[in-house]
Amino acid sequence: MPGGHFAGLSERLRRAGISPRRVRRLISELEAHFEDLVTELRLTGLSHAESESQAAIRLGTEDVLAASIIARPELRSWARRWPWLAFAVLPLLSLAVQFILSMAAAVAIFGFSVHTLEMTPLHPGPVPWICEALQAYALWVAPMVAAAGACYFAARYRASALWPVVGSILIAFLGAHTNASFQWSPALPKGAISAGIGFRFPDIGAAIGFRVLLTLVVILAPFLWARRREGDLRW
Amino acid sequence: MSGVPELLVLRFLSAREMYGYQLAHAIRETTREAISLGEGVLYPALHAMESRGFLRARRRTVSGRTRVYYTITPRGQRRLNELSQEWRRIAGGVESVLAGT
Repeated sequence: MPGGHFAGLSERLRRAGISPRRVRRLISELEAHFEDLVTELRLTGLSHAESESQAAIRLGTEDVLAASIIARPELRSWARRWPWLAFAVLPLLSLAVQFILSMAAAVAIFGFSVHTLEMTPLHPGPVPWICEALQAYALWVAPMVAAAGACYFAARYRASALWPVVGSILIAFLGAHTNASFQWSPALPKGAISAGIGFRFPDIGAAIGFRVLLTLVVILAPFLWARRREGDLRW
Repeated sequence: MSGVPELLVLRFLSAREMYGYQLAHAIRETTREAISLGEGVLYPALHAMESRGFLRARRRTVSGRTRVYYTITPRGQRRLNELSQEWRRIAGGVESVLAGT
């Protein structure tokens, strides 16, 4: 069977909510079966074209195959059964996890440098640079990573745009309201790392607005544009 | 005829490990084509039985070609026993009716 036939089936199955991994396996099994049928039919004396045509009939049309797979709800991916969880809640949780881990890493590196390597504010080595990089990651990069994850998996699973958009907006707002700071100076020799989250509605500062927009423009806008270009922008 | 493809698949796989084409071929040969399943339709049935824990699948490369082989699980064996009993009961009932007419 021509590869294009299975490519069409593959796309139909993914849009119907079958997980990409299962689709890959089904297609590879169908391809192998088709090749076996062609070999079997060739041995009966049929030409290659006739064998392919007969094999396609025995295997079933794309409509029959698609209907038989889509009719089984147990073959649908969990991400398509609970899209709010996969494309909104879990990415939001991943933002919290990234924030906590990067702050924990900053505390651990700072503690190790001060207590084990005996660094001081006057001879700090790369410690301030590392802690500030981790802080920048938590504040600026983590929301974009979380939103990108939501959009990437939604595109991969051919899910509707609703939940990744909701997830990305929530991530952008939550991410923009996190704050973290690192201080270490001769006046503050033990150092101080602070992190937290604060809501100041309706007084949304320009910096917060910029952080929200950054995530939405860098991640969400290309996602929506790409889905629209592929003709797969569904709500 | 509901449950017949499941019964046939479990019965063949209880004898030995097979991949999809072998299974379709065995069903066709053994039933002398009395039962004709759309061969491609076998795969969603196999995947569904796997997700219900009746079958286990593993990839094996034989003669340079990768195949997915299916084997029955203990749970699948219990399911086969249930389906076999059910089928014998129905077949016995139909046989009685035919014998009486």
